[in-house]
Amino acid sequence: MGNYSIVAEDLTYWYGDLVAVDHISFHVADGEILGFLGPNGAGKSTAWKMLTGQLKPKGGRATVLGRDIAEDSQKVQGEIGVCFEYTNLYEQMSASENLRLFARLFGVRRFDDEALLRRVGLEGWGKHRVEEFSKGMKQRLMVARSLVNQPKILFLDEPTSGLDPVSAEAIRTVILEERERGATIFLTTHDMMEADKISDRVAFIDQGKIVALDTPHNLKQTYGKRALKAEVAADGGLENIEIPLDMDETPDAVRELFSQKKVITIHSEEATLEDIFIRITGRGLQA
Amino acid sequence: MNLRRVGVLLSKELFMGPKNFIFIFVLVAPIAISLVVSLVFGTLFADQATLGIVDEGNSQLVTLVEQSPSVASREYYDVSQLKEAVAEGAVDGGIVLPPDFDGSILLGERTVIPIYIWGESLAKNRTILTVTVMNLMRELSGQEPPVEIETVTLGDQESIPWNDRLFPLVVLIAVVIAGVMLPGTSILHEKEKKTVDALVATPTTIGEVFLAKGLLGVIIGMVMGIVILLLNQTLGSQPGLLIMVMFLGSIMATGIGMLVSSIVKDTTSFFATTKLFGILLYAPAFFYMFPELPQWIGKVFPTYYIVEPILQISQRGGGWPEIAANVFILIGLNIILVALMAFTLSKKRQYAV
Repeated sequence: MGNYSIVAEDLTYWYGDLVAVDHISFHVADGEILGFLGPNGAGKSTAWKMLTGQLKPKGGRATVLGRDIAEDSQKVQGEIGVCFEYTNLYEQMSASENLRLFARLFGVRRFDDEALLRRVGLEGWGKHRVEEFSKGMKQRLMVARSLVNQPKILFLDEPTSGLDPVSAEAIRTVILEERERGATIFLTTHDMMEADKISDRVAFIDQGKIVALDTPHNLKQTYGKRALKAEVAADGGLENIEIPLDMDETPDAVRELFSQKKVITIHSEEATLEDIFIRITGRGLQA
Repeated sequence: MNLRRVGVLLSKELFMGPKNFIFIFVLVAPIAISLVVSLVFGTLFADQATLGIVDEGNSQLVTLVEQSPSVASREYYDVSQLKEAVAEGAVDGGIVLPPDFDGSILLGERTVIPIYIWGESLAKNRTILTVTVMNLMRELSGQEPPVEIETVTLGDQESIPWNDRLFPLVVLIAVVIAGVMLPGTSILHEKEKKTVDALVATPTTIGEVFLAKGLLGVIIGMVMGIVILLLNQTLGSQPGLLIMVMFLGSIMATGIGMLVSSIVKDTTSFFATTKLFGILLYAPAFFYMFPELPQWIGKVFPTYYIVEPILQISQRGGGWPEIAANVFILIGLNIILVALMAFTLSKKRQYAV
């Protein structure tokens, strides 16, 4: 990958005595989806706020679209889209009015709110007040709002948190479409399944530090363990057997399983990102 | 600072206004209070100011007064009959035109005309009578008339009409409610709903958000103040000066509202604070309501410098020379308020821009 949309160098932020983001450095290439994974309180949102110009870094620097975000935040904000974890729409306004207001703030002259609503599955809801919407619909409208200026980078903070599967899938589809359009995506989440599905690379953040950063595949290769899991008949019941796949004795163990046991079910199992996170940090993502 | 974005935000405020209870309240409450005061104290459907005239010569001024749309006139045959009518409140005031009055003023001879004023007449009626008589004399003589009008109050001089006593309070309510409540609650609403986070994640700055809300308070405060003056038929003689004072008064009220909203945590604290300290904003009105109180105390309160120039113009027929000192104090207080707010905002600002 050639140019970098985001470059963070030694980025630091603290609230009083608490260091929320502790000298982190990373980069995100143009058109890349970076999943920023970590449990609640790990420092994800603080890093996200610094990168979107909502907080000034207290140490280090971040360059977004080639501009120092602390010095040139207004120009950067004109070219990025931001979707918040919490709902912050004007609930007494309609969906279209919300979108048009933000389009005007971005100085977008030609704007088709209906087309944008269609993209997020809210076709026909443009004239309805947002207060009538379900949580999933509001979240989809928030994603739509973050797209009004056709951003070069899309910053999404827990975009599918607590949503029904249909809404979550609609949002994931939009994220992938945006990547296709050429946008860079910075996705903050603690949903490892989501990060695994759509991220090109994932960064694990824990206690303000990045503890791992690579593609999901490489992380699984490096930190995960593969195994064969089988259910076999035993004494009128079932017994579970697990055979590690990457050991010298694995072929013998598999042969022995089939020759000496009555195998009922068998499947291979890969490590999940959560398994890897636990292995690296010693605690889970939901912590 | 981008004025286009400020305009977008201001139009959003105005667009959302009718859907907002506070917005409706600041529009309706002052008008309702003003109408109730006028209804209760009997001035809502009151006739225009009445002027009694004793014409000892054959003055053209009588014809001019009769033709004037500002006052109703009644002619009396002698001074004692006129004084009796004024003392009983049959007319708001009365003048005696001496023989050859017209000839004297055309020759530029200095003349003293007594104007008898009913002690319980409305302040605006007194102003209308004095101003109208002076204007008509100017029309008659074709120059600044060499006439001195000497006011003589008849009847119960201590009894100021309640409509006049309550007028400063109604004016303050109109300006202060709109100026303090609208921007204050709007800022806190944005903070509580976190919509301000979405705004400042665009190229919009927090300063632009505050400016738009401040403009909303100033515009609505000024409009409501003018509406109250119109309802009380007191916009009359110097509308330009009154609008200027209303504008400065709305800036003060808005500055106070925004300062409080940038300090307090939420809407509940805002309402508690404005309830607690709101009495200080309305305090000057109580000194007009009860003239027996030491009047100098009223000057301690900043809103005195809003209401005093308004009363000076609308009820006492004053002009720029009479209000200049108070207006400069009002401007000074506004500068201090804006500086305080900018300082508080810069200290509390959580945003990068």
